[in-house]
Amino acid sequence: MEEPPPLVTRGLTKSYRVGHIRQSFRPALVDLDLEVRRGEVLGYVGPNGSGKTTTLKLLTGLLRPDAGEVRFFGEPLESRAWRHRVGYLPEHPYLYDYLTPAEYLDYAGRLFGIPGAERREKRRELLALVGLERSADLPMRRFSKGMLQRVGVAQALVNDPELLLLDEPMSGLDPLGRRLVRNLILELRRAGKTVLFSTHILSDAETLCDRVAVLRAGRLVRVGALGEMLDESAAQMEVLVATPAAGLPQIDGATLRETLGDRARIEVGEKDLVRVIGAIDSAGGRVLSVQPLRQSLEEYFFREMGGERGGGNPWGEG
Amino acid sequence: MGGGLSRVVAVAANTFRETVRERVLYNLVFFAILMTLSGLLVGQLSIRQDEKVLKDIGLAAMDLFGTFIAVFIGVGLVSKEIERRSLYLLLAKPLSRGEFFLGKFAGLVFTLLVNLGVMTGGLYMTLVATGRGADPILLTAIYPIFLGLVIVVAFAMLFSTLTSSTLASILTVGVVVAGRFSDVVRNMRQVLPGAPAWLVDGLYAIIPDFRGLDFKSQVTYGDPVPGDVLLFVSLYAAAYVAVVLGLGLASFRSKDFQ
Amino acid sequence: MTWRLAVLLLVLAPVVVWSHSKLDGRLGARADEEVLYLWTGNQVRVLFPGFEGLAADVYWLRTVQYFGGQKAFTQGRDFALLRPLIEITTTLDPRLEIAYRYGAVFLSESPPGGAGRPKEGIEVLEKGTRNLPGSWRLRQHLGFFHFLYLKDAHTAAAVLEEAAELPGAAFWLKTLAAELLSKGGDRAASREMWQRLHDQSEEGILRKNAEQQLAILDSLDRADQLAVVVEEFGRQRGRRPRDLEELRSSRLWRGPLEDLRGTPFRYDESSGQVSIARESLMWRPR
Repeated sequence: MEEPPPLVTRGLTKSYRVGHIRQSFRPALVDLDLEVRRGEVLGYVGPNGSGKTTTLKLLTGLLRPDAGEVRFFGEPLESRAWRHRVGYLPEHPYLYDYLTPAEYLDYAGRLFGIPGAERREKRRELLALVGLERSADLPMRRFSKGMLQRVGVAQALVNDPELLLLDEPMSGLDPLGRRLVRNLILELRRAGKTVLFSTHILSDAETLCDRVAVLRAGRLVRVGALGEMLDESAAQMEVLVATPAAGLPQIDGATLRETLGDRARIEVGEKDLVRVIGAIDSAGGRVLSVQPLRQSLEEYFFREMGGERGGGNPWGEG
Repeated sequence: MGGGLSRVVAVAANTFRETVRERVLYNLVFFAILMTLSGLLVGQLSIRQDEKVLKDIGLAAMDLFGTFIAVFIGVGLVSKEIERRSLYLLLAKPLSRGEFFLGKFAGLVFTLLVNLGVMTGGLYMTLVATGRGADPILLTAIYPIFLGLVIVVAFAMLFSTLTSSTLASILTVGVVVAGRFSDVVRNMRQVLPGAPAWLVDGLYAIIPDFRGLDFKSQVTYGDPVPGDVLLFVSLYAAAYVAVVLGLGLASFRSKDFQ
Repeated sequence: MTWRLAVLLLVLAPVVVWSHSKLDGRLGARADEEVLYLWTGNQVRVLFPGFEGLAADVYWLRTVQYFGGQKAFTQGRDFALLRPLIEITTTLDPRLEIAYRYGAVFLSESPPGGAGRPKEGIEVLEKGTRNLPGSWRLRQHLGFFHFLYLKDAHTAAAVLEEAAELPGAAFWLKTLAAELLSKGGDRAASREMWQRLHDQSEEGILRKNAEQQLAILDSLDRADQLAVVVEEFGRQRGRRPRDLEELRSSRLWRGPLEDLRGTPFRYDESSGQVSIARESLMWRPR
């Protein structure tokens, strides 16, 4: 008998009531059918207001759905048994500022029914994991946003969850912190855990996720592996060039994407590659690197969402 | 079931820790002590009043400051958690809304108990130190004061599930004042003969009868509160709290945290 | 920069104090009086739901201070707020027995020792006996005051008999009542009452007051004795003495010629009456 998937939603719907006197309904999430497979990292992306946070609040019981069904490991939403197997990190977690991280983790552990000695051990482990061992006994009143986020991550792991629900886990973190969380997610995947994390930082979704679910105006627009979704056949190459003092001339078939001081990033079709490199060489430039360019999630995003393409440049085709 | 109880206790213990670390509590206790000391002074200035004044002030301080704590911390228990969203993290765990709600309630009730205990101890110490007896009769009035405070907490929590913390505080204070004027309500028809009996009786039944829990005057004259009265008072308070808390629980359970 | 601020504060502080005391002098007790005249006990009670006992303590404190202040600092003031203060105090706490006891004395005693309004004093005691029906002491006071201040022996006797019926009442109440009815207006009864009041009172105003009253009675006794000696003188010499000194020089009287406060008695040669002088502290209106 196969184990049920960690999370399945069918027709999950939620509307918010707007206005006091003349009430109307604003749909926040419409008919969400989503399945999270065991052991995968699923990115949940979409613009602000698309319903990402609403989904997570519905999943964790903070909101009641208007319609639809949710099953965690085959168990219905109302049952509390599945909560022992799930960890949750909300966006901007507020943790009691009069407690220390150690105390908070202890409290969380008690709520999971973890016995005292085990709690102590877990506390130590988790605080080391998120790099807060030295601040373990400081009241969180003084913590920076980044530090609080780390405690948030730690408390989501107290019960060794099989499924993690993370709402914007990178928010508020410095590059070190972001790397920490990224590595953590990868580590969890390696250990066979399942992760669902929502983000609007598309590069994170790109690097970490097996599959991506795209939400727009409350509806699920696309779900699939990144490779399927993004156009790989375009076979564009990205060339990093040290520009000559006189600047780079316009080269047929080459598109300037970005200038960084004395370097330039150029996009070239595979078939024109050799010729363009030769032209750069003749002009006195130096090729620093060449790599295949995959359509970025960001571009896909903007294309699908109909937004303006970013990073406009005065030279080259837009 | 055992798991549920231990979770409630965990929430209660954390709530107690929270109220202790909130400095508001210390300020209030400080003022209560100040009041007691001023009681000593007032007693000296008056004629043959020292012991009575001391007891009057001690009991009044317990009632007054206990009420402040019950209202403002009681409202904050739920409102603050909702407004700051610290709640979200907790509810995702195997902690039911009911366990959370009751745990918070239990934590504050315990805080009040400790608070009242400290102030009672202080009063008795002052009485003994100034050469008067530690009259155990006072306890028969302190216990109903405590019950009254528990009722206030229940209201504070109910209102805080329904509305913002400011409005909840105002409503709770309103209930406290109305309850203290319960005799005015009962005798309303003397002042307003036109008031319909069913309305007056209904109001009187609904409003918490804090005046009925007020035995401060008689114990300062050495009249203990009789045992059967204490029994009825306990029953009334327990049932009342259960109803109000039940309403608060129902409200909290059905809330959407947008 | 900060020293300029300091100078400013140093200059302003005394201005605050001075202007406040000026303001106080202008307004002061007036606002107080108005409030007390306007508010009855029941209205004040509404302000302190659940804290009436404490409020009563505070109002009693104000009453005591008001009484002391009126006596000490004002000649010719009329203790106007005394009754309202006692009213409010006893409405806030009907069981505050000393408010009735002391309040009655404050109101009944002639100035400058009190307000000189015994009727009001008796009303206060009546309220006391209504609210504390089991207190034989208060009822005894009520009876005494009817006799001592209003000279009403019959009512006094009736009240004392009521008092005697109450549990714990002193045994001598009945006999005293009977005494009142038989002789009426007797100094001996007065003396007994003031002696009882003296013995029952705790140290302080009430006891001093009773001592004073007993001293007055002693002075009256002495005056009476002098009057008797004056008559004796008259029989012996065929005329009344010109003044009390003559009594002494005639060796008919060797005692003092003043009341117990040292003020010489007044002697009226035409009638032979010896009485306490008007300017004496012992003097009381009939």
